[in-house]
Formats: sequence, C-alpha cells, structure tokens
Amino acid sequence: MAARASTALVGGYAAASGLAALLARLLPVARVEATGWALILSFLFYAVIGLWCFHEPRLSRVAGLVWGLAAFSIAAAMLLGVRP
Amino acid sequence: MSAKPARETGLRQSMAWIHTWLGLLAGWILFAMFLTGTASYFRPEITRWMQPEIELQSASPERAAQTAIAHMQATHPQDEQWTIYLPDERTVGTRIFTRARENPDPKAPKPPRTPEIRLDPATGKTVAARETRGGEHFYRFHFQLQIPHPWGRWLAGLCAIFMLAAIVSGVITHKRIFADFFTLRWRKGQRSWLDAHNVSAVLALPFHAMITYTGLITLMLMYMPWPIAANYAEPSAFTAEAYGRDEESEASGRPAPLTDIAPLLRAATREWHGGAPARITVRNPNDAAATITVARDSADTLNARGQSIIYSGVTGARLSASAPPGPAIETAGVMLGLHLGHFARPFLRWAYFLLGLAGTAMVGTGLMLWTAKRGKPGALPFFGYRLVQRLNIGAIACLPAGMAAFLLANRLIPAALPGRQDMEVAAMFWVWFGLAAASLIRPVRRAWIETLTIAATLCAAVPVVNAVTTDRGLMRSIMTGDGLFVAFDIVMLASAALLGFTAWQAARRPASLPSNRRPPAPIAATAREVADAA
Repeated sequence: MAARASTALVGGYAAASGLAALLARLLPVARVEATGWALILSFLFYAVIGLWCFHEPRLSRVAGLVWGLAAFSIAAAMLLGVRP
Repeated sequence: MSAKPARETGLRQSMAWIHTWLGLLAGWILFAMFLTGTASYFRPEITRWMQPEIELQSASPERAAQTAIAHMQATHPQDEQWTIYLPDERTVGTRIFTRARENPDPKAPKPPRTPEIRLDPATGKTVAARETRGGEHFYRFHFQLQIPHPWGRWLAGLCAIFMLAAIVSGVITHKRIFADFFTLRWRKGQRSWLDAHNVSAVLALPFHAMITYTGLITLMLMYMPWPIAANYAEPSAFTAEAYGRDEESEASGRPAPLTDIAPLLRAATREWHGGAPARITVRNPNDAAATITVARDSADTLNARGQSIIYSGVTGARLSASAPPGPAIETAGVMLGLHLGHFARPFLRWAYFLLGLAGTAMVGTGLMLWTAKRGKPGALPFFGYRLVQRLNIGAIACLPAGMAAFLLANRLIPAALPGRQDMEVAAMFWVWFGLAAASLIRPVRRAWIETLTIAATLCAAVPVVNAVTTDRGLMRSIMTGDGLFVAFDIVMLASAALLGFTAWQAARRPASLPSNRRPPAPIAATAREVADAA
C-alpha cells in the first residue's frame, strides 16, 4: 500500500507535471496561451492519475504506467527543450 | 494504510475506498481551510470591525488619490515608489506602501521598510487605530496555515488536491445523486451522518468543485512551474507576457514636477468604460522619468487579474497598457476571480459565505461519518478510531472557539499595547489547541458537549464584549444604521446558536449506538458498504 500511495502522490505529480509540460510545449498556440492551458489542466491530470492508482488492482501495472508516463513525458519535454 | 483496495471490484467500490482515505487524511486541515476561507469573504469587513475607532466618511477615488499624493509629497518625496490603494465601499481609508530609494553604495544597509500608511481619504490626515491583523489573519491562515513559507502553502495545496480527488471519487461513489438531495433522516446515527454529508455535498456540489479547483489555480505558478519551464527560460518572462510587465524604469536624476493625478484617473475610467481605479503606483516621483500606473478595480470584472495603464508621471501622456489576455490566461484569471469573489456584490457575497459554510459542513459531517461507521458497541475502540474522534473534536468544536477568541482578544487587549496584534493571533491558537488538549481528559461524549458549549459561549460573548468595550454595540449600531456592525453581531449570535444547538444535540444523543448496526467490517468491506448505502 505504501508503494501504491507513493506512486499516486509522487509519481502522479511527476506524471502530471510531465504531461502538462509536454502539452505546454507542443500545443500549437501562442506559448503564453499553451502554458496557461497546461497550468489549468495539470491539476485535473494529477487528480485523475492519482485516483486511478487506487482503482487498478495490479500494483505492477500502476507503478509501471505512472512512473513510465512520468519518465517518458519528462524526458520528452527535456529533449524538446525550451520553446524557441 | 494497511488495507488493500477491494480486489476485482468495480469503479464505485475503489472510489468509495479512496474517498474515505482522502477525506480522513486531509479532513481536519480542510475543515480549517473551509471555515477560515469562508470568513475571508468578509476580509475587509472583519478588519473594519477589528478597528472600531475608525469611522471615516467615504470620498471619491479622485479625492482620495489627490490627498494621498499630497501626503506623500509632504512626507516621502524622494522615495523610489509609492503604491496607493484607493478606498472602496468595503475598505475605509487609503492604504499606502512606500519603498525608499536604495543607497547606490552596495555596502550600505538596506533602507528599513516603511510601515503601511493609512489616510483619511477626505482630509489626507493619517488615521491612528489599534494594531491588528484583522481579516487578513483568517485569509492568510486559509492558505498558509500559520506554517513558515513555503511549507504552509505546499500543505494547503496537498490538501486541496486531496479535496479535488475526494470530490471526483465522491461523485463516482454516489449512485443516487438526485434522490439523496431530498433525503435527510435525523437521529438515525450513521445513516443521519451519511445523509447530512450527502446533502451538504450534493446541494452545493458545483460550488465545492469550483472552489477547490480554483483554489489550486490561485497558487498554480508555485504548485506547477513545469509548463512554464517548458516554454520559458525565465519564469518572469511568462508572468510579463501573461500579466503585463511591471515597469521598473530607472530614475533619470533630473527633477521634474509630478503631474496631477485626477485627469489620469478620468482617462483610465473612460478607457475602461466606467471601470474604477483601485491602485496607483507612482514610480520615481518628482523625476523626469516618473511613471504612474493605474490598475483597475477587479470588483467589477470576473477576471481578478485586472487591467492597468501606464502614464508618464510628468506629462500625463499614456505610455502603454496591459495587453488583453488570450482565452487561457483569461480563463485562469476568471478562475482566480471566482475563488476570491471580489466581484460579488452583497447578495452574492452572502451566497458565497453560506456555500462556504456548506463546504465546511460537508467536511465536518464526512469526518463524523467515519467514526459513526466504525464505533463498536461495547468493544474497546482501536487507537486510530480514538485518534480520529479526538481530532474531530479538536477541529470541529475547538477551531470556532479559537476564532471567537481571536475576535475577543481584539476587544480585550488594550488598544495601545505594543505587539498586541501578535497577541490576538496567539489567543486564537492557544484557545484552539489548548481547548483541544484539555478536552482529552474528558470522555468523548462529554468532551463534545463541553467544547461545543465553550465555543458557543465565546461566540455569544463577542457582541457582549464589543458593546461593553466600544461605543458601537448592537443597539447603537441598529439606531445609527451601521449595517456592518449589526451584521457582525448577528453572525456571531447565529454561530453561537448553531454551536449551542449542536452541543444540545450531542447531549441528547443516546450514549449507546443504534442497535440495528451491522457488525464492524474491515475497511475494504466498509467501502463496499458505502457504495451500497449510497
């Protein structure tokens, strides 16, 4: 349960942050607007990811998907770099 | 957290389980955030009540701006920046903050911060009043929790995201959202707490969802800096693009007289189609490079991120204005505005207040439901159960007592005593935590009755002490038509009545739990039970 809870709390935040950063970087509108939408939606991402962690019974799937999503989205956002 | 979520069960079961845990872990802090946040809808009014010696006539914004600038010219003509908050119908008196010019020598000590200057807008004379944090205290506590920066804000944010997840999971758990709207069975133990939780939650569900989400938005730049990092090398570049650049122009060193403020305010009001100015920032006054920024009052727009216009401080020419925001920035600004409720006129503000109380009740009844479901008749309750019971008393009964003590301290601590504003704050926490600690020595049921009675008594004492220590008691306030002081006393008496009623209910409830209770269930099974019951 500790693994599940920390995945939801920390992994969920990391995944939501990565997704929001990616959305902000890739949304084809002005960067200030893309940043704004990503900021607004980030908390919804976090809440939904966090809740799903307690719905899916298999812990391996929870940890794999959430941490994988976090790693992928953060890595992608970092590779893309700051919007020129 | 030892129990696992029910294996191989549906969405509703897993959501019921996590809803219970989210609410339990964040519930006590959320209760305090809801209650102090609700009080903060009357932040300026509480401040006015807490400085009863100030009775000012209102003046036009133009008059207030002119008297403020005349005062600053007489007292701080060489400062780097004056920030002038004009009075409105809710805040009496002009508030001014000034920043002295830094010594060009980097080794010189920083100039001391000048305390807030408060002026009578009609005459420009300084207003002397007792030192108090006023409504600002509840407002700051609401999101900083009296914990050093930035940890209080992070903890408040964590509780807010728990609240958001609890709302989503609560809605999913709920099977008959419409029917439960009309169901409230009194005096049926656990069933009644569930009904009360459902009614307070469902009745104001749009408000709860809105206030929770927009609460996260208020501090989104702190909680979620990553989208900004993805697009900007410097976070300040984002705020400049989104909300307009703060003019940090340098002084030229050549003196030049400051232009008259009145025509600038008229021009700004025209440009905003009647929107009122709220804040004037004079940078480098009496210098050839002086600028005057006029910011719009957010009380007449939904977007709390108000517009502003920058004028030359010498010629009065319009230099620039904040760009109109795009849909996303506008949305975030409106969400902020919805949370703060500055736009709300009295009727809507009272609606906000009552909805906030409904939110407080939702959290409180949720906490009570947790214990009501788990009480075992006859058996020695487990440690977690006793802990939750005691924390419930500490939050639900003792916090209102502490808030009333804060208001009482305002009237009882001598008005001229140095450091009195910190004593007021200390009074709240000593009474709150002291009462909670003292109640530990009493059996739970007696502790409920006694702490609630004390809280009710303290609330009822506020109008009495006010009448004794000031000349603005209820009778005189009614005679003179002082709506604010009348309303304040009525709210305190109503709070006392509500707390007293609750104490009476606690005393009336039979000591033994209802006999139709099912045998105690492990948490996973209990979660299923919530879903069934709901």
